Amino acid sequence: MDQNNSLPPYAQGLASPQGAMTPGIPIFSPMMPYGTGLTPQPIQNTNSLSILEEQQRQQQQQQQQQQQQQQQQQQQQQQAAVAAVQQSTSQQATQGPSGQTPQLFHSQTLTTAPLPGTTPLYPSPMTPMTPITPATPASESSGIVPQLQNIVSTVNLGCKLDLKTIALRARNAEYNPKRFAAVIMRIREPRTTALIFSSGKMVCTGAKSEEQSRLAARKYARVVQKLGFPAKFLDFKIQNMVGSCDVKFPIRLEGLVLTHQQFSSYEPELFPGLIYRMIKPRIVLLIFVSGKVVLTGAKVRAEIYEAFENIYPILKGFRKTT
Amino acid sequence: MYCKFIGKCSESTSCDRVIDVGSEWRTFSNDKATKDPSRVGDSQNPLLSDGDLSTMIGKGTGAASFDEFGNSKYQNRRTMSSSDRAMMNAFKEITTMADRINLPRNIVDRTNNLFKQVYEQKSLKGRANDAIASACLYIACRQEGVPRTFKEICAVSRISKKEIGRCFKLILKALETSVDLITTGDFMSRFCSNLCLPKQVQMAATHIARKAVELDLVPGRSPISVAAAAIYMASQASAEKRTQKEIGDIAGVADVTIRQSYRLIYPRAPDLFPTDFKFDTPVDKLPQL
Repeated sequence: MDQNNSLPPYAQGLASPQGAMTPGIPIFSPMMPYGTGLTPQPIQNTNSLSILEEQQRQQQQQQQQQQQQQQQQQQQQQQAAVAAVQQSTSQQATQGPSGQTPQLFHSQTLTTAPLPGTTPLYPSPMTPMTPITPATPASESSGIVPQLQNIVSTVNLGCKLDLKTIALRARNAEYNPKRFAAVIMRIREPRTTALIFSSGKMVCTGAKSEEQSRLAARKYARVVQKLGFPAKFLDFKIQNMVGSCDVKFPIRLEGLVLTHQQFSSYEPELFPGLIYRMIKPRIVLLIFVSGKVVLTGAKVRAEIYEAFENIYPILKGFRKTT
Repeated sequence: MYCKFIGKCSESTSCDRVIDVGSEWRTFSNDKATKDPSRVGDSQNPLLSDGDLSTMIGKGTGAASFDEFGNSKYQNRRTMSSSDRAMMNAFKEITTMADRINLPRNIVDRTNNLFKQVYEQKSLKGRANDAIASACLYIACRQEGVPRTFKEICAVSRISKKEIGRCFKLILKALETSVDLITTGDFMSRFCSNLCLPKQVQMAATHIARKAVELDLVPGRSPISVAAAAIYMASQASAEKRTQKEIGDIAGVADVTIRQSYRLIYPRAPDLFPTDFKFDTPVDKLPQL
């Protein structure tokens, strides 16, 4: 089951619409994939969710395998050597459509899985394993998935706008040119707020998922279009994603700031949480004594997940024992 | 005497290019009050400014230095060391701020050094010099082991706490240094003396705060708040009682904050006091709020 993680399990087709996931970097080397049934899935996500579903499928297949392994134990060991060669070559070729990959993994793990009860920590020597991420002990994944709380995106409507008419004619729009040079418009579904500038550029905030953000931006563009402006929908880009989660144990922030001095900033006088600036991926995490973690600064969902998987073993090391 | 030109020891008479680089020993002034009569230049720090070789011409005293209207003829007393005018101004400001809270010279020197490093790096050039100076003062106090709270620095500076905090983080990043975490004990002696509390109470408060942090009774609370609550508990158990408002004024903490932290440490009060503490008010009679 470890072979799944040593290569990008998602082909090009699975990349989220906003741009590729960081290429070549697998979602972390966990033994247990995401979505083990503990985590509520986001509402209606098309692309990035498929990875979770795929890993769920893989996990179910592995559970089936382990039952079959007891019968086919010796055969597997004989085929191990043969399959290892096949596996390394086929892994490099597995950039193909997503539909094939689960099957391939299925067959590979059947043949090369070792004795039940001993999960290998690392794949066979044939497998190229490129640990790009910091060396974490090969322990289980957290099983916790950060939930997205806010998505900020921008879009260009492609035409100059007259903010006064928009403010006068649109519902739920406020405009105070002395205070701020944009119209602030709100819609109820998805619950979001948009700042619409006279240049035609718009910022949409408050959505809980990438699709919702895009949908909301389209709705605002529609409103502007109905008001008579030739609005288009150019360069939709997600600028920032904020996620949060709970590790469910208290954390010793003083210890964390001592060991990770170059990344952390903990000033109780200024802010009660520790500000951890992770270099790779470039995410800022706010870590609190209660165990709640806020992750921000991501352009794609995978960065949030990756950052959390990076920080989780570190936080476990600073768990409060009392 | 070692002659640096001919490279060996020589007597002063044999080498006519010997220059005595010692201090000027002749003095022409009559007053004996000058501390260093052989000094010919200003005693300003050549380490901090760019070498201090400028000369200031003082106001004339005789009749010849004034023209017919009574204005002094030679007016130029300023514009020397124009390259570091801003830095000199900042040093002056730092000295003023430090003077207000009676900081010793070593902290002021450290602050000046930090400011010079930050100024030369130019990474924080856009920020107000006063903000940088205040943040440097804060860092210097921390580095010398006698931290001052942001609010204390705010009280002697015109810059807001928010801006000082921002500059503080930027300077740490620019100079690639870090500072130790503040602890409750750092502030005890200062707060207690400002409240005129006896040494026994101060020691008790220090002990209470330390124990409270060790027993993790106050997770996530600022050490200043915990210290203030500990001082409140210790003072209320002794003869020298202080109100929450008084302690809040000195520590820069709101009295509701003291109340919150006090509520957290109150249940374990008997365990927190030092064993040799003389109770004026017994533990069970401590105010409960």
